[in-house]
Amino acid sequence: MATDQHTVDGGSEDLPLPTTIASGAVAAAVLLPLVWLVKTSLDVGFAEAVAISTRPSTVQVFLNSAALVVTVTVASVLIGVPLAYLTVRTDLPFRRAFTVAVSLPLVIPSYVGAFAFVSAFGPRGAFQRLLAPLGVERLPEIYGFPGAALVVTLYTYPYVFITTRAALKSLDTTLIDAARTLDHSRWAAFRRVTLPQIRPAVAAGALLVALYTLSDFGTPAIMQFDAFTRVIYVEFTSFGRDVASLLSLQLVAVTLLVLGLESHVRGNEPLYAGRQGGRTSGTVPLGPWKYVAAAGCLAVAGLALVVPVGILLTWLAQGGADVGSALAFRAEYALNSVGVSAAAALVATVAGLPVAYLAAGYRSRLAEAFERATYVGYAVPGVVLGLALVYLGTSYARPLYQTVYLLVAAYVVRFLPQAVGSMRASFLRVNPALPEAARTLGRTSFGAFRAVTLPLIAPGLFGGAALVFLTTMKELPATLLLRPSGFKTLVTHIWTATASGYYGHAAVPALILLGVSGLSMLVILTQEGYDVK
Amino acid sequence: MTDHRSSRRRVLRLGGAAGLASIAGCNGVFGGGSGSGSGDDNGGDGGGGGTVAGQIGSGRSPFGERTITGGVSMTEMPELSGELTLYSGRGEPLVGQLIGFIQDLYPDLTIRPRYNSASELVNQIETEGSGSPADVFFSVNAGSLGALKDRGRTAELPTEVLDMVPDQFHDPDGTWIGTSGRARTIPYNTNALSDDEIPDDIFAFPETEAFRDAIGCAPTYSSFQAFITAMRALNGESETREWLNGMLDLGLQTTYADEFLVSQAVADGELRAGFANHYYIQRVLAGRPNAPIATAFTEGDAGAIFNVAGAAVLDTAEDPDLASAFVRHLLSAEAQDYFARETFEYPLVPGVDPIGRLPSIDELNPPEGLDLTQLSDLEGTVDLLRDVGML
Repeated sequence: MATDQHTVDGGSEDLPLPTTIASGAVAAAVLLPLVWLVKTSLDVGFAEAVAISTRPSTVQVFLNSAALVVTVTVASVLIGVPLAYLTVRTDLPFRRAFTVAVSLPLVIPSYVGAFAFVSAFGPRGAFQRLLAPLGVERLPEIYGFPGAALVVTLYTYPYVFITTRAALKSLDTTLIDAARTLDHSRWAAFRRVTLPQIRPAVAAGALLVALYTLSDFGTPAIMQFDAFTRVIYVEFTSFGRDVASLLSLQLVAVTLLVLGLESHVRGNEPLYAGRQGGRTSGTVPLGPWKYVAAAGCLAVAGLALVVPVGILLTWLAQGGADVGSALAFRAEYALNSVGVSAAAALVATVAGLPVAYLAAGYRSRLAEAFERATYVGYAVPGVVLGLALVYLGTSYARPLYQTVYLLVAAYVVRFLPQAVGSMRASFLRVNPALPEAARTLGRTSFGAFRAVTLPLIAPGLFGGAALVFLTTMKELPATLLLRPSGFKTLVTHIWTATASGYYGHAAVPALILLGVSGLSMLVILTQEGYDVK
Repeated sequence: MTDHRSSRRRVLRLGGAAGLASIAGCNGVFGGGSGSGSGDDNGGDGGGGGTVAGQIGSGRSPFGERTITGGVSMTEMPELSGELTLYSGRGEPLVGQLIGFIQDLYPDLTIRPRYNSASELVNQIETEGSGSPADVFFSVNAGSLGALKDRGRTAELPTEVLDMVPDQFHDPDGTWIGTSGRARTIPYNTNALSDDEIPDDIFAFPETEAFRDAIGCAPTYSSFQAFITAMRALNGESETREWLNGMLDLGLQTTYADEFLVSQAVADGELRAGFANHYYIQRVLAGRPNAPIATAFTEGDAGAIFNVAGAAVLDTAEDPDLASAFVRHLLSAEAQDYFARETFEYPLVPGVDPIGRLPSIDELNPPEGLDLTQLSDLEGTVDLLRDVGML
């Protein structure tokens, strides 16, 4: 495996062939579902397609989605980066506990979060009833843009937090020390030394946030905000499948726009940063500010966690009506969830490895195109991707249709970029001189990769796999469409209960979901820094 | 779990034995006179099933003990065997027990149920095309069944199945059949309003000041959309738009995600009235018998449509005979009684009574001249709702 630093612009002749083929195959597989999208969109007819695309309501929906994406992404960076810095680099009290607490919102499905916020802060919600004795008649409107932006931000900022944290963890702090000895203020040192090094990681997290926001189905629906996904949902429920596909195709176009924009922002990042394997020196003392910082962390985690958990506990306390065996909870559901999620995490990591390696190590248009391609499935709402795979499955892969194999494939298509983004950012921080040295010492290229590169990118590998695991645990729409008949997971069980209004029965699986995901988060956080102490 | 299972078996055995006895009674195997004396008492309402057929569950309902009032027992229907894939747009908590009962009744039958929302299943069946594994589609509303029919995906049902319900409850072309009924109603809070304060005419609603800022609906919910679709079909586009605008001017609350929540809000006093299917009110009452909520009806207009949940056999069904025989089981005395007791719906087979604080099916005044298949035209409704700002 070549590890030289290549700077061929647009050329691909220097790309290592096997890795390129593997990477290309992954990209092609991920783009395959779009075939269905194009096919059904064509059923609309050209004239009508133009009419639909340019009607004022479509334009309005586009502007709504754009505003939501920009707001959520900016807010997530503003929350995620400082939190990452505080938990990695400073003497924040209870750092470990806070690291866990501010990561945990990621385990809560945003639709559960949205539902909880509406129940709690709706015009006549639990919070209003609590305040009613004080004469509060109605709370300010949570529906619409503010509610949607708040909820999506609270449940997606951990993407930025986690990717930034991984970068900060493996940061070589001797450079910062050097800057400080050269009389830079702490802020100047952060801006000139730290920031450029963590920028790819922040960008990777922000991109995940932006695309998640575009594809999130539940939150805009519950918050009654007309984003692309809600309009697509309404079209699907009124059997306007072709129009829904057309709108989804527009969503893909917007995704490409976002990807282009991110490429632009990312710019000519350093191909490697820092002397990987270097030491990380002591923490930055916060002084009295540490109380303010702790209060900030507490506020974010509190808002994001206490509201949904509180609502779930209320449901639990209310109990459920006796509706027979259908809603009886079984441990099997949790095992199913964990099983498919682990499989998806493993496959996504393996499939993403060549893509991330190529994108990080070579400045090539082709490598970049492959990497960008993996993001498209992520930005398409689950129900759209689900239907696309229903089509591909029934048309070309009958034996796989409604088996866990196709289900796992759907998860990989949908969540691959989480693994790719995280691994790519890790590759970027590996100084090519290190594996190079191993090769001069007689290792094969694969041997050098295994002995030197792999341990260095391990945190990114784990982080990426964990993200895929967590998001797969929460996934609902594609699961409903593609699962084998009778196959139930925690989320499908939550859905079964809530769809019929038996909220009491949703509490237990939801709390188990939070518990299992929370545990896996703990595992990652203890794993994450094992090579960089 | 095991408790449940064993009790189901026990009921089954009782049901089977009782069913046989009733067949014997009806056929007069034991001759007239003495032998059929008790049989006449039981079977007076025409069906052999009568009071002696097995009940799914205990025969209890939140509104008291109940025995099956009529219809044809499953034991008198042809046996089912083979494999059947059922796409159910009806929730598992509501119909899972019934499906399980039929499954357990026949040793050679395997039912593979797949639960999702009705509209998603329609999209799924459409996308699966000729490769669809689905044999039967069981839907919460006529609209979804009509949508599949419009796309040519439903097969014609045999007349012996279609004849089990009155003509207005099945597709005129026989490609789907209603299995239970759902009346559009006006739930109202009995502390805030009395029955005579609710107009009989849906078009009087926008001028009813008693509703100001205190009437609610669930605009994304399929049953509400079916109601608006019916209004469009009966009264035309512009009159419907006017009605919607009038309701919005009156302060119609549109923030509810489904009609159970609307009914809960009415019972809580958060709303004085709402728009909901009848069984949501019964479901509130089943949990809270003293809740101040009651049911009002409009007369002969879109506010009083009687929609059906129903089933269709798909054009891709592997064994159409098995599929239609299964649909027939959904119209058995046991299943009809189950819908009345467990989902609080109107049984559609004549002779099986509804339950709870409801008028009988004959006392309802649904609008004349509405073909339920028309309710599949949701696109125009969605456009209209979006246009007036409700979606």
